[in-house]
Amino acid sequence: MKRGLLLAGLLTLFLSAPALAHFQMLYTPESALNQGGEMSMKLVFTHPFEGDHIMDMDPVQEFYMVHQRGEEGEPQKTDLKEYLSEITWKGLGDAAGKAFDATLPARVVRSMGDYVFVLVPTPYYEKADEGYIQQFTKMIMNVGGMPGNWHEPLGLPAEIVPRNKPYANWTGGVFTGVVMSNGEPVPNIEVEIEYLNVDVDMAGNAFVGEPKIEAPHPAFETMTVLANDKGEFTIGLPKAGWWGIAVPDVVELEHEGKELVQEAVLWIQVTDIP
Amino acid sequence: MLRRGLILFVLVGFLTVAGTVSAHTPLFSCFDNADGTIYCEGGFSDGSSAAGVPIIVKDASGEVILSLQLSGNSDVEFDKPEDEYSVLFDGGEGHDILIPGSQIFE
Repeated sequence: MKRGLLLAGLLTLFLSAPALAHFQMLYTPESALNQGGEMSMKLVFTHPFEGDHIMDMDPVQEFYMVHQRGEEGEPQKTDLKEYLSEITWKGLGDAAGKAFDATLPARVVRSMGDYVFVLVPTPYYEKADEGYIQQFTKMIMNVGGMPGNWHEPLGLPAEIVPRNKPYANWTGGVFTGVVMSNGEPVPNIEVEIEYLNVDVDMAGNAFVGEPKIEAPHPAFETMTVLANDKGEFTIGLPKAGWWGIAVPDVVELEHEGKELVQEAVLWIQVTDIP
Repeated sequence: MLRRGLILFVLVGFLTVAGTVSAHTPLFSCFDNADGTIYCEGGFSDGSSAAGVPIIVKDASGEVILSLQLSGNSDVEFDKPEDEYSVLFDGGEGHDILIPGSQIFE
């Protein structure tokens, strides 16, 4: 009887465990800079709300930025793969996995305007699903307050295109984006949102401290909204920090005899009103 | 009728231009290229171009050393003065930005 109860308890725990949401991170501490200069970014594949699971990344397929100074400026694409170096990223607890550091020299990010950073990772094999995941990940930074191409689609197979400046959001505001695939809106698709719930130690390549929020229910860890028939979605921004927005299963392909799902991720930063 | 249309057009045009000018913040930034030249770029917070805006380089006493203009790409490059200097983005009243040479880095 006791064993039966224990089994029932374990089964309940298992059944109520949240679906683990994978988010490819492209992290830097500040996305709205007054001045350009040398900067560091971390490329980590993780569960940002929990911060206790780090998936090994293989060498990335593409890592580049598209910079534009002013609305009338010409967008300039720069390959950034030469600045990548492999690191081990430590999560909370004993978690650790292969990740990447990008240290960008001042001459690359010194000019005013928008910098759209794009990461295309090597497809990740997810044993549980017996298939591959590939998340086209964007993070948009601004230097000096001069806008540029923050709202321009890049024509990626899976992409979230912002309708608000992703680097200028007050706590309590809203953020609107459009889900696109190869430049066309994707209607009625599911969008996942997670808060980066842990602090980041840039020098130590680690998540540190205690989780900032304790979710009352698994649905609050990975929140979900549905895009409308034009691929548009809106989310609220209740807390300062970084928020990851992911769109699973935008494109389904085959890779090495298994299913490959191509997904879109966008990171936005939220700032408290002083 | 034609006259009224012309007045309306001029008024709307003036208000539109005036609104555009006052609604944005000027932005200006300079870098030392470390090769004896200085690079400056300008613009406005709404992303509009600063092409043609006068750029004045002055010495320590305020005397004008160089009178330049931002290019069609809203930037300009000039030889770095040997002595103390400053660079003025002359965007008109309320739209001036002065950067001392001591704050211009590589």
